[in-house]
Amino acid sequence: MKVGHTKSQFVAVASIAAELSAVMGVAKEISLAAANAKAIAFRAGEKAKGFQPITDFINELAKETIDLVDKINNHALSLYQMTVNEHRMSEAYDKFELVSVLAKGTTYEDSLEQPLLKAQQKMLEYRRVFKTNVTQLLDQLAEVMHPARAARVIAANSRIEASQAGEYLQSLQAVAESVDNAAQVIHDNVQRCRLALSVVDLAE
Amino acid sequence: MKMTNIYEGSYQWIMFGRDENKPEKIIDTNQYMVRTANRCLLIDPGGVELFAPMLAAVLHYAPVDQITDLFASHQDPDIISSLGLWDQALPDAKLHASALWEGFLRHFGCESIEYVPIADNGGIISLDGVELQVIPAHYMHSAANFNIYDPQAKILMSGDIGAALEEAGAPMYVDNFDAHVEKMRFFHQRWMPSNQAKRVWIDRVRELDIDILAPQHGRMFKGDDVKRFLDWFEGLQVGIAV
Repeated sequence: MKVGHTKSQFVAVASIAAELSAVMGVAKEISLAAANAKAIAFRAGEKAKGFQPITDFINELAKETIDLVDKINNHALSLYQMTVNEHRMSEAYDKFELVSVLAKGTTYEDSLEQPLLKAQQKMLEYRRVFKTNVTQLLDQLAEVMHPARAARVIAANSRIEASQAGEYLQSLQAVAESVDNAAQVIHDNVQRCRLALSVVDLAE
Repeated sequence: MKMTNIYEGSYQWIMFGRDENKPEKIIDTNQYMVRTANRCLLIDPGGVELFAPMLAAVLHYAPVDQITDLFASHQDPDIISSLGLWDQALPDAKLHASALWEGFLRHFGCESIEYVPIADNGGIISLDGVELQVIPAHYMHSAANFNIYDPQAKILMSGDIGAALEEAGAPMYVDNFDAHVEKMRFFHQRWMPSNQAKRVWIDRVRELDIDILAPQHGRMFKGDDVKRFLDWFEGLQVGIAV
């Protein structure tokens, strides 16, 4: 039995960490943009009244994204360790199979049966746990898409509110623009994470 | 993998080596096993490439559950990079190796096997009443390095000391010491870093009663060739790269 652990599995899991690190950076930028927008809206007073609650939403979305990414990051790290375990176990199992071929006719060849069986069970168990965790990680990544999508809706609303803010229009439009761009970047990075995970061979 | 009994008493010493199927570019190594009534110690069990032929060869002498102990003279990959595989095959075994190398050797994978750290002054490994002495050989060549001496079998497993780079299929024992010298000279001059460490090791080893000096590469030395080797090594300047 050859289990589908490949170099690409290591690369996939490692690349998620890199993508998530970028997502984290962008989420922090959104949080900063929200603080900036709040200050502008405060200065604009009545003219930007509709904008003020939006800044709170933006901030919450950024926080939510940061928390989720943090959680996913930890999960990705443990998934990497699982990949190492599964790789080592699969390699060991392959070698044990080779031993059983080479040991044909030796006095104690039968003593290999138990270690071989245990290795097979352990390998399948690692594989099962890995598979479950990849599915969970994909779900978590889908979850991060929600605040990113909401941020784009909020960015659209922000543009409308900004248009009524007189001399503050440009500043608030810039905030809306940066939230929109950041949400797009998050969306793209998370998509790449999901794509990277999709190359992992989950076949038994 | 060739197997040679080098001591036969109430227990055995077996040498494994000259693996014909070894990949061409990896160095040929000698592995040793001490087989007592119910236990086996594998001395420098070898690199990851060697695991399958080595375990298959051991199964001529002992069942898997009686391979209870491993010893690593130092940290090199040709000595012990197979550790992660032994770790899966022998979850209840012990690895005897320098305390200094523990954090490094664990990179090879050592989750089930118990790491038994050896202090700088060496120690004893007991197998069913057979006591093997762990002799310090630091800086010969590794910073934390040990030999195994069996006072009953009069065998010194000397790690890289006495090693020679040979053609495939070389005989097991040195048969012409003078001709053998050139196969050892550069290895010892370049790999052994310290004349002082060399002198300390030679003084220590001259105190031991040795019939067979068994290195990790090349041929073993028997009888008078053991003394010839010590005399030759004593006069050799090492650490030539600086």
